[in-house]
Amino acid sequence: MIRTVNLQKIFTTEEIETSALNGINMEVKEGEFVAIMGPSGCGKSTLLNILGLLDNPSGGEYHFWDHEVARMSERQRAQLRKGSIGFVFQSFNLIDELTVFENVELPLLYLKVPASERKDKVEKVLERMNIMHRRNHFPQQLSGGQQQRVAIARAVVANPKMILADEPTGNLDSTNGEEVMKLLQELNEAGTTMVMVTHSPYDAGFAHRVVNLFDGRVVTENIKEQFHV
Amino acid sequence: MIKNYLKIAWRNIRKQKFYSFINILGLTIGMTCCFLIFMYVRFELSYDSFHKNKDRIYRVVTDVKTPTELIEADITSAPMGPNIKADFPEVVSSVRINLQNALVTIGSNKYDEDRVAMADSTLFDIFSFQLIRGTAKNALAEPFTAVLTESKAKKYFGSADPMGKTFQMDGGKVTIKVTGLMKDVPENSHLPFDMVISMATAERMGQNLTESWGNFGMLTYLLLAPGADAAKLEKKLPAFMESHIGSTMKRNNMYYTLHLERLKDVYMTSKRPAAVKGSITNIYIFSIVAVFILLIAVINFVNLATARATERAREVGVRKSVGAYESQLTFQFLCETLLLSLFAFVLSVALSQLLLPPFNLLAGKEIAYNIFLTGTIGWFLFIAIAVGLLAGIYPALVLSSYKPVVVLKGAFSSSNKGLFLRRGLVVFQFVITIVLIAGVMIVYYQLLYLQSRDLGFKKDQQLVVEFGGVDNMKEKWFDIRQQVLNVQGVSGATFSSAIPGRFQNSAYSNIEMKNGEMQASNINLYFIDYDFIKQYEIKVLAGRAFSPQMATDSTQAMLVNEAVVSSLGYSKPEEIIGKKFDQWGRKGTIIGVIKNFNYRSLKEAVSPLTLRIEPEAFVPMTITVSPKDAKKVIAGVEAIYNRYVPEGRFNYFFVDDDFDRQYRGDFRFGQLVLTFAILAIFLATLGLLGLISYIVIQRTKEIGIRKVLGASVNNILLLLSTDFIKLIAIALLVATPLAWYLMYQWLKDFAYRIDVPWWVFLAAGCVAVVIALATVSIQTMKAAMTNPVKSLRTE
Repeated sequence: MIRTVNLQKIFTTEEIETSALNGINMEVKEGEFVAIMGPSGCGKSTLLNILGLLDNPSGGEYHFWDHEVARMSERQRAQLRKGSIGFVFQSFNLIDELTVFENVELPLLYLKVPASERKDKVEKVLERMNIMHRRNHFPQQLSGGQQQRVAIARAVVANPKMILADEPTGNLDSTNGEEVMKLLQELNEAGTTMVMVTHSPYDAGFAHRVVNLFDGRVVTENIKEQFHV
Repeated sequence: MIKNYLKIAWRNIRKQKFYSFINILGLTIGMTCCFLIFMYVRFELSYDSFHKNKDRIYRVVTDVKTPTELIEADITSAPMGPNIKADFPEVVSSVRINLQNALVTIGSNKYDEDRVAMADSTLFDIFSFQLIRGTAKNALAEPFTAVLTESKAKKYFGSADPMGKTFQMDGGKVTIKVTGLMKDVPENSHLPFDMVISMATAERMGQNLTESWGNFGMLTYLLLAPGADAAKLEKKLPAFMESHIGSTMKRNNMYYTLHLERLKDVYMTSKRPAAVKGSITNIYIFSIVAVFILLIAVINFVNLATARATERAREVGVRKSVGAYESQLTFQFLCETLLLSLFAFVLSVALSQLLLPPFNLLAGKEIAYNIFLTGTIGWFLFIAIAVGLLAGIYPALVLSSYKPVVVLKGAFSSSNKGLFLRRGLVVFQFVITIVLIAGVMIVYYQLLYLQSRDLGFKKDQQLVVEFGGVDNMKEKWFDIRQQVLNVQGVSGATFSSAIPGRFQNSAYSNIEMKNGEMQASNINLYFIDYDFIKQYEIKVLAGRAFSPQMATDSTQAMLVNEAVVSSLGYSKPEEIIGKKFDQWGRKGTIIGVIKNFNYRSLKEAVSPLTLRIEPEAFVPMTITVSPKDAKKVIAGVEAIYNRYVPEGRFNYFFVDDDFDRQYRGDFRFGQLVLTFAILAIFLATLGLLGLISYIVIQRTKEIGIRKVLGASVNNILLLLSTDFIKLIAIALLVATPLAWYLMYQWLKDFAYRIDVPWWVFLAAGCVAVVIALATVSIQTMKAAMTNPVKSLRTE
């Protein structure tokens, strides 16, 4: 589904150049659940951003489905991104001024889905995430776990092929974290490809495969059986 | 989608109450000022536009040229209009109008009317003044007929039908019949009148309207045929004058050149006098002020929005990550600004409507009474949308350009991007503020100067009573004056034909030049009695004033002012003494030169003036009284007046008040500028308040750390205000030449004006600094006095 060849990312400030990604070669197949692990600053999030078409690489190739996307413009990336990739962030990133329902509805608005269909889809996904009763609340009125469930609902509402999760349990206690991971697992089992950045070996245990990064390189790749703790 | 945008916009407005309040209040005040000024400017520019034939109507004006001067008059003599009409086929019609005062008597009621027009019956053919009763052809055809406006008819005759009713004029000597009724003359007419008396009346009362080519006093308007070329017609006028009075002009060495002025230029741009006159300079100034005030409000918005942009950064990131294009986000943020500006628009329209009555009062005329009837709402909406776009576009572009990768990390803080712009905009605001403060100071300084400048005559404690309508004044003036002098509290009384600040006649005069030739010119004229010079404390520079002991003083003597001396080429006042004059049938010699005194507004330089004794022409009597006796004296003089003019109406005023009345328009202008300056300062302060409160919030942690490290409250205050003081210093540098230039344009209208003092700019700068410091201090104090433990914990 996605494939990178010698992917590079260099950040340039006035004085120094920092190489965040240093020739990443990896592939994620449709329906896979891949966890990316590694110490702070190893390039996990940078990789996830590029995979999510939020950022362009400095070099190398990135094939998303059949598209070579590494040199695409912001607008082209946005076009491709919408509807095909969902994001789940550590800090939830819900819009405070919108209700639960409206937050989840947002991707559908940009996809120009008609109102009645939107309502159906949002309600279904809210029910699935068990958060329907909170549909008219604002994010700040919810617990962290609930907020992340809303974020996941928003990520899946447009039925994307792939979900990218950046430390989805990082701001949650263990009970809520477990719940969120189970949700992601369910989504994966239902066919959604999942790429997740995490610090937590436990969370990584939910993945089929773990990619370990260090200093912007892939150092090891473990498949589940070898890794599971 | 739009619904989603509006929803989030509305929720943001409600959530950020303080900033929303600042923005909406700012935009509302800015727009309200702009709307009011817009209506004012539009009204001023609309003068005479209601005439259907406005593009074909021209005013005939005259340049009177003598070897010594050029007078640019707005009037012609009576025969000119009808003769132009007769000689040139492209002239469809002509009308002569004479605006005057009149005392109207109906039964026992007396009315002083100062808006009376005497006009030809063609008035209604040329102009679109609406006749309700009577016909354009007949209403003014006969002598002793008049057309009244509705309000005047109602005042005179109540609800009765005015047609055929009569009233008396000229102290009951003339009876006028109402032959027409017209709608009131619109406020935006440069010809202000409440009634029209037929021109035939003047003729019947002894005025020679067909022969008196040299007697100026008529406004003349022409209606040209469709397609006729006014410039071509104007070129033919010198030959026309030559053919009619060429030899007279040559003989008198006084030449008349006629010009045509488009009707639409008469009120606003003509340099010649008019009964009602606009000022294009003021229009420019007010338009600039309106734009400035609106810009201040817009800048407040831009500054606050860009400073606070980071608050919306995460939303931008989220929206982009779920598929929003940058253009969609730009559109979204523009929508928010538009919403805000439309909100302000609604408030502004309501506020403008509420403020219309006081604004009319301030402007001195009824600009409008119902904003919805002015046809300007569409324009206002356009302005509101333009403001929304102007204020919104930059913040929207900044916001929508945020990279989701950067802003979604959560550790995003604002860069220095936009800081330079914000500083620039703050400087710009202060430039406007300083220009306005300096402008107000200069306007008031000039007005103060006008009032306090030595005019060359005594204007205090001079009571004036108009003795118009005394039969045979020549025989009675001495007795009247004697009786007035006997009233207790009167220390002086003098008759004249005119008094400073009021209209005076001018006369065709011949005066001997240095080389012995007689020079003809049109010179202003005061007829005075023996005490006038003494009582007005006018200095005699050479020769002597009139004296009752000299029998010939009342028949063969003339005083002139310094301006006459220099205009005739004499270098010293003494040189003109004993020279001959010939004026209005009187011949004699010049016996004295008086120092120039400002008998007209200080907007004009003192022009040549001759003074003679001519009791027949006496009307106003100037009476010197002490303030404490004023009431008694007025009562005493009224009794005398009533004995001599039983059918008249007693009128009095004080010279100083009356003279300053000439500056009423300038005071009004000053008040308007002051009002708008205060609003501009308020708006700029409001913006600063918002900006500083935001900066203080952003720097809370820094302030905390500095305090922990030992900084005092004063240190913190200094830290935060230094930036702004620097900006004000830059603003002062920019504002000084700008304000100087703008105010110089305004001052140019005054012949006597102040030199703009340097300290005005410094003072304006100081006011700006004080305002900025006060604003900074209030906000900073709160932060600086907070326990650092608390401010550090919140980070």
